[in-house]
Amino acid sequence: MKIEPTELEKAVLLKVTGRMDAENAHEFEEACERWITHGTKHLIAELDGLQYVSSMGLRSFLSVAQKLQSASGSLILCGLHGLPRQVFEMTRLIGVFPVFETTQQALATL
Amino acid sequence: MDPPFKRLTLPAIAGSISAFSQFVRGGALAAGVAENEFGKLDLILEEILVNVARYAYSPESGAVEVAYTPVGPHQLLVEIADFGRVFNPLQADPPDLSRGLAERPIGGLGVFLVRSMVDSIAYRREGDRNVLSFTFPLDRGDAGENE
Repeated sequence: MKIEPTELEKAVLLKVTGRMDAENAHEFEEACERWITHGTKHLIAELDGLQYVSSMGLRSFLSVAQKLQSASGSLILCGLHGLPRQVFEMTRLIGVFPVFETTQQALATL
Repeated sequence: MDPPFKRLTLPAIAGSISAFSQFVRGGALAAGVAENEFGKLDLILEEILVNVARYAYSPESGAVEVAYTPVGPHQLLVEIADFGRVFNPLQADPPDLSRGLAERPIGGLGVFLVRSMVDSIAYRREGDRNVLSFTFPLDRGDAGENE
C-alpha cells in the first residue's frame, strides 16, 4: 500500500493505492492521525487505486472518521470501486461515510 | 470421488497470511475460480487467519493448517485448523449495521464479511483442533455480476 498526501486549501488529499490489509492498515490510520494532530479538519481518501481492503482496513477508516467527526471534521471517500466498494456496501458503510465518485465532487461540498 | 485435500501448515501469525493466500489461489486456479474472484478468497482467508493468529494460542504461539479440495464441479472446500483453545468465531453476535458513524463499533465486521462471501461455513471441534470449513463458489465469476 502506498499513501501520497497532497495539501489543498480546504482539505488534505490522501491517494491510497494497493492493498490495505491486516499487516498495513495501521499505516493509513497513523498517516491520518498525523494530519489530524497537525490541525487538518477534512481528509479526502482518493481510492481509485485501492485494490483490496479487509476488516482491519475498515476499522482504520472508521476510527479516523470518528476522530474527525468529534473535531467537527470529516473523512470523505472518493473513487471506491471493485472489491473495496463491495466490502463497503456489504457492511453498509456507504452512507456512514460521505462517498463521491471524484475528488472534485468531494471538494465542492466543503 | 473428490480428490484428496492439499495441505499447508505455517505459524499462526499475520505474516503467514500471504503464503496461505498463494497456496489456496493455486488450488482455486486449478479448480476454475475466475481470477477476479481471488480478492474475495484472499479476504475470507485473511479474516479467518487474523482471528486464529489473535485468539487461538495467545500469549503462546502455535501452528495453523490450511487445506483445500474441490467439491463437485461448483465449489472449493477450504478447512482452517489450529490446535489452540476452543474458539468458535461463528458464535459472535452479528454487527449492528444500522448505526451512524458516531455509534458504529469499529470491530466485528470480519466474520460478517466472511459469511457474506461464502456458500456455507461451519465450525467443529475435532479432538484438540478447531476446524473452520467453508465452501467457495467456483462458477460465480462474471456471470453472477451481469445478472
